[in-house]
Amino acid sequence: MTLEIVLMWVALTFYAAATALYASGVTFSKDAVTKWALYASAVGLAFQVVSLGVRWARLGHGPYLGFYEVTNALVLCVVAFFVIVALRNPRLNPAGIGVMPVAVLLLGGSMLSSKAGVEITAKLASYWLFIHVAFANLAFAAFAVSFGCAIVYVVRERSKGGKWAKRFEKLPAQDVLENLTVRFVLLGFLFWAIMIATGAIWANEAWGHYWSWDPIETWSLIVWLIYAVYLHVRFTLKWHGERLAWFAIIAMPMALFALIGIPLAFNTPHAGIGGLGKDL
Amino acid sequence: MTSSPGRRIVRFLGSAALATWLLVFVGVWSIVGSLVPQSVASESAVKTWETAHPFFAPIARFLGLHQAFSAPIFLACVVVLGDSTAICAWQRTKLAFGRARRLAEAARADRLHVVEHHDFEIATDASLGEDEVLSIAEKTLATLNVKTRPRDGVLRAVSSAWSVWGSPIFHWALFGLLVALIVGNLGRSEGLMGVAVGQTKPDAPASYGKITTGPLRGWSSVNRSIRVDRFEPDYMSGGIDRGPTPTVTVLDGSGKVIKSQRVYPNATLKSGTLTIYPSDYGLATDVTLISPSGGKVWQGPLLVDFATETTSGTRPVDYLDNTDASTNQSYRIYVSVPLDRVNGAAVNQLPKNPTAQVDVVGSDGTLAYSKVVSPGETVSLPGGGALQLDNVNYYARLSVVDDWSIPLLLVGLVVAMVGLTIAVVARQQIILLAVVDGPDGTSLAATVRLWRNAASSRGEIESELTRALTGGEKESTG
Repeated sequence: MTLEIVLMWVALTFYAAATALYASGVTFSKDAVTKWALYASAVGLAFQVVSLGVRWARLGHGPYLGFYEVTNALVLCVVAFFVIVALRNPRLNPAGIGVMPVAVLLLGGSMLSSKAGVEITAKLASYWLFIHVAFANLAFAAFAVSFGCAIVYVVRERSKGGKWAKRFEKLPAQDVLENLTVRFVLLGFLFWAIMIATGAIWANEAWGHYWSWDPIETWSLIVWLIYAVYLHVRFTLKWHGERLAWFAIIAMPMALFALIGIPLAFNTPHAGIGGLGKDL
Repeated sequence: MTSSPGRRIVRFLGSAALATWLLVFVGVWSIVGSLVPQSVASESAVKTWETAHPFFAPIARFLGLHQAFSAPIFLACVVVLGDSTAICAWQRTKLAFGRARRLAEAARADRLHVVEHHDFEIATDASLGEDEVLSIAEKTLATLNVKTRPRDGVLRAVSSAWSVWGSPIFHWALFGLLVALIVGNLGRSEGLMGVAVGQTKPDAPASYGKITTGPLRGWSSVNRSIRVDRFEPDYMSGGIDRGPTPTVTVLDGSGKVIKSQRVYPNATLKSGTLTIYPSDYGLATDVTLISPSGGKVWQGPLLVDFATETTSGTRPVDYLDNTDASTNQSYRIYVSVPLDRVNGAAVNQLPKNPTAQVDVVGSDGTLAYSKVVSPGETVSLPGGGALQLDNVNYYARLSVVDDWSIPLLLVGLVVAMVGLTIAVVARQQIILLAVVDGPDGTSLAATVRLWRNAASSRGEIESELTRALTGGEKESTG
């Protein structure tokens, strides 16, 4: 087992520990425990960064190619985004109960996949690759945090008046939590739009077509439309409360499917990036 | 009061519900379109799918799901969505003007204005002085990530006027993008042109093997030609194998070189509105058709594609029609190139010692005869005459796109992203706080407008201020 893989297993262990700590911290209403969960997430993040750094140095390219790297980069962005948000706004820390399980499942899945390096091909050899993929990761990170906030919102909404209600006392008020969910969706929506726009510009540079309706392009648009509908129902149709939170919860897996499911399922020009390692 | 039909249509097109349902429809249609094979990608996949799904096949055909993204129903929805976006952008522009005016007023508001026009009032602890009240309020709002500044006795957090323009800019840019897309496609041409090494082809419809043009595409003003100077099957650059790489030259009507470069992925040739990309490659046989009297009837390249299913490893793209003068029977000449093989598998490259297989097929489809020739050799044709193989080389199948709207689309994308960034990042808020001295004691008058991206909510601000200024959750008046 190479150093990078050992480090990644350590990162996964810390993320799993963070998930358990979030679960117990929220369940037993212990602030100190959720704080430790955040620290565990941050330590795991450090191990993951080092592991991916070692891999980057070895392969000569960032984590863009193949299921292992793409999923890893997504998890890295999700955890980094969440840790920054939770450090800046400690009241949001319990949302880790929704975010960290996603990170653990994704990283665990990637650890079971092939870790072989994929070479940069002529069609991927462009600085647009970094920009395009970076915004995809950032967008997913924002959607994942909105997902975490929405989960906490729904759990608290459902426990209103019950014995669980007390356990969420220290979280921001429901309207603030909803507002934050919407803001993270907005941020993800912006990053996703930039991802699509940079992809179109790159596609035009790379092969002279800015849009080809290939499955992953189509699904990127679908996810963007899903979140556009979310924002429309929130801002113009004035949806609030639990149904809006459920919308954010259901939308996030669609984004995940577009990013790693479609390249696995379809033979697309993006297959080399997130899927089976095929050349373009 | 009744409204005119025009107003009703505008109101309908501008309704949030219609916009939402159109977005839902386009999303669902796109999902279905991604699951059903598209004829643009593969006609055979469509046929296979129809055979496997006899129940859904007629429905898919009727709805145009195999051309999902050019189907009339989809295009109609996109057009209505465009109209809806324009009306929505207009409504947001009016709203932004109103908000910008209120922000400007709030920026100018003095203490008297806040005292006279506030949303709610919080009675403060009697022991607190005016400065203390404002100081506590400032600190309390800071804990909610609301940064305030005191001026003219008013504690204020008022967004800049530009903060309200993000959404209108984004929606207008989206509308502009849709218009540019539609108009651009009307005048766009996109095709595949096979050009042999050394060959020059005019940029005209006849030069393309496959071409799609918009209804407004005019060719009269196009006066240029495309030449392939060289072909490198394994071009290396920057330590990366760039793959089969032609060197392409664009010439103007007088034959002057406009631009020339190696063309490979991420290095497309761009010249004005033209974009050239190497879609594929194959082999080209330069042949001369000689008449029975010995004169040249035709000379040029016949293109040959790589094909794993044939014994030679290639199949002809072009052919020559000729007539046996003695019998007046027409026949067709096909040329292919037998490839070198490694471990039984054909190598998709120019053979070390290239030859060409010439097949002469009669009008009834029967193979009259077949002969393999080397460069410089000839094949006798029925009724006299001959076909001479001059050379075998590569040809590049170039994807040639002529679209003037691409720079506009790029500008539209950038403007849309700028608008969306402002809409997402910039706070749109008015928070004005001033101390009111009344007969019942001191209180804090507050005006709170949180339109977008607020760090907190009005309820939370009111509750936190009340808690901080009274030491408990007292009721405020509002």
